[in-house]
Order: sequence, then structure tokens, then C-alpha cells
Amino acid sequence: MFLHQLNPSVKALTIVVTIILLALVFDPITPALLFVWTITLTFIGGQIHWKRYVLYLLPFSILSFGMLWTTLFVGAPSQNLENVIHLFGLSFSYEALLTALALALRVLSVAALSLLFIFTTDMVDFILSLNQQMRLSPKIAYGVLAGFRFLPMMKEEWQLLHAAHRIRGARGNGYNERWKHYKRFAIPLLASAIRKAERTAIAMESKGFTGDRNRTYYRQFNVKKQDGFFFLCMLITFLIACLISNQLGFLKIYPYHF
Amino acid sequence: MRNWRFKEVVVMAALSVVFAVIYLAFFPLGKLLVGLFGPIGYDLIFGIWFIVSIIAAYIIRKPGAAFLSETIAAMVEVLIGNATGPMLIIAGMVQGIGAEAVFAATRWKIYSTWVLVAAGMGSAITSFAYGYVMSGYAVLHPGYVTAMFFTRLISGALIAGLIGKAISDGLAKTGVLSSFALGKELRRKKSA
Repeated sequence: MFLHQLNPSVKALTIVVTIILLALVFDPITPALLFVWTITLTFIGGQIHWKRYVLYLLPFSILSFGMLWTTLFVGAPSQNLENVIHLFGLSFSYEALLTALALALRVLSVAALSLLFIFTTDMVDFILSLNQQMRLSPKIAYGVLAGFRFLPMMKEEWQLLHAAHRIRGARGNGYNERWKHYKRFAIPLLASAIRKAERTAIAMESKGFTGDRNRTYYRQFNVKKQDGFFFLCMLITFLIACLISNQLGFLKIYPYHF
Repeated sequence: MRNWRFKEVVVMAALSVVFAVIYLAFFPLGKLLVGLFGPIGYDLIFGIWFIVSIIAAYIIRKPGAAFLSETIAAMVEVLIGNATGPMLIIAGMVQGIGAEAVFAATRWKIYSTWVLVAAGMGSAITSFAYGYVMSGYAVLHPGYVTAMFFTRLISGALIAGLIGKAISDGLAKTGVLSSFALGKELRRKKSA
């Protein structure tokens, strides 16, 4: 449960920095190592149900596969035509294969890092922490939290609209009809969201919410030693992954040429 | 943020929440298109992900509306549990900056159809530059990258610019925007 207790803002910052660093590397080994490390860390420090994890990771595997084949077949032309590899009756250069693998593994690695954040962070905590640590204005922070509360209401609203349309005999059969159906839904749904938002804002202001930074907090968030430790831990892992990749002779940093 | 009324902030947040759900609903479609056509699949429908910038800016007409609404929508996408994680917030900010820059160029005064279309294209440009670095488009064939760029530009102009305007005008007609800039403009036009 170690990951759950980290400060949400620092956790987000760490993930973002790691992903940016990852975007500068163009070899398959570094993202692969980082991918394995991130998944290990998520399961040790996060207590996550593996079925749910796999379900979330699945779309990214598809995306990763899409990245793999497009890079292979529409990749920038390679000048190195000596190392040609034959696979499944197709042939491409060794370099193109490495780059394609690098991009595909990067997608997976970024996905794993993001999942680490998603699975171990309560999102209300995240907004509150953004307000307290990252100087996000309380006006926006509480505005967003209020807006977020409309989500469950919106589902109800949708069912209500649906029922109202049905009782008046509006049907949604066939593609054309269904499209019209959605068009009829869009404006009323948005209009009711705007009305609710307006009312909520007036209610909050009448109870003394000014959006001033100088306010008290019921739930305090602080940055502790363990947050710094997590940040360093991820950076060092990244460097070690780069070093291993360099030892194996694969490492490639961003501004490179074919 | 000083000259914003709190009402406008919450309404912008509510719009962002609604569109965050819509944005999420379009991800599977995008992934399907990418699976079929490669990275250009996303570009076909990329405009949908800029739409809240256009709508919020067009309705509220204050500096920051385009940028903040897109950022909040991205934040809500993360809140609901889109697996792209905190990076999505950065992507949202980058998209918002593109549209905001266009509105800033008019000093947040002109909201004609052309400006809205240009704002949609502005988002397309910044988001493409971001994608170029983050997703490593540099390794793709230059011709393919150019095709991706123009596809996204057109998508931003049509889906975000034109459909965004149509939705906002539809909303203004219902009267719920009567205390916002767009609603006031509509009233002025009617009485004139």
C-alpha cells in the first residue's frame, strides 16, 4: 500500500518526468526494462487485482501493435540495406525493426506508468493536492470538484430524457434514426448541466466561498520524505535501464539520424 | 482569473465534465481506427478532442476559457479513469494553448465562425507538435507525417470549429446562456 500513501501531486510529477525522459530514448531495451520494473512496483506497492489490471492494459497492447506494424511498413526509409531480416515471409531492415519495437514498447511502458498512477490515486485527493501543492487556484479546484459531482447526475438525466422521449413515441431504431436520437439528446443534456452548474455556483457563493487562496483546509496534504524517495527511485531506475541498454549496445537518444 | 465570475468557472467545469465523457467515448473509436490505418486513424477524428475549448471560449468569451476548459476536461478524463494518466493533462493543456493563442490574437474580442475554425486548427497545430515529439513521429515517413498533419488540421477545423459553434448556438437558443456572453449577444441581435 506504499504507493497509495504518496502525495498525489508528487506522484503525478514523477510519472510525467519519467514519461518525458522515456520520450527521448529510441531503443527497445530501456522501455522494456522500465515496463517490467513499473509493473513489479505496481503489484508490490499497490495491491492491485491483476484481472482489472490486464483489462486496462489490453487496449494499449492493441495500440502498441498498431504502432509496431505502421512503423515497420511506413517508417522513414532506411539507408542501411545490409542487415535485412526475413520474418513471416516479409523482409525489413534490422534498424527499422529495432525502432518499431522501441516505439511499441514505449507505448506499453507509458501505459504501465500511467496505470501505476490511476490505480493508486484517489482523484479527489489529487485535485485537493494540486490545489495545496501546485498552487492551482481554489476557484478552479472546487469548481472542478463541483463539476465532477454532476457525473452521476448526468447518467440519471440521460435515463430521464430517454424515458421522456420514449413516452412521446420517439424511437431510435436504425442507424439514421439513432443518430437523430443522439442529436435530440445533446442540447437538453448540456442545457441541464449548465443550469445545475449555475445553481451550484450561486449556492457555494451564498455560503461564503470566495475562491480566495487565503483559506483553511479540512484535509491537509504535505510532501514527505517518502515522496522524494519515490521520485529519486524512478529516476535512478531510468538511468540504470539506460546504462544496461548502453552496455548491450542499443542505447539511442533523441536527436539521431538514420 | 480575476475578472471571472464563479458562476462562469463552474459552468465551464460542467461543460468540461460533459465533454470529458464524450472524449472518453471517442477513444475506443480512435483506437479502432489506429488499429486499422495506423497513427493517422486518430487524426481523422482528432477535432472532437478540441471541441470544449471552442465551446467554452465562444460561450464565456474571457481570456483563459479555451485553455482552462481543455485542461479541466483532460483532468476529468483522468478522474474518471482513463488509463493515459497524468500525461493526458499535459496533452490537454497543449491543445488548449493552440486554441487560446488564436483567441488571444483577436484580443478575445472576435468570435466569428472563421475565428472558431482557426482556433480548432490552432489546437491541431500545437497538439501535432506535441505528438511529434512524444509519440516519435520523426521515425515515420515524412509524406505520411504530412498527411497526418493535414488530416488533423481539417478535422480540427470541421469537428471542433464548426460543430462546436453549432452546439453552442443550439444551447443559446434554449435560453440557458442568458447570463453569459453568447446569450447576451443573441438577445442583442434579436432586439435589434
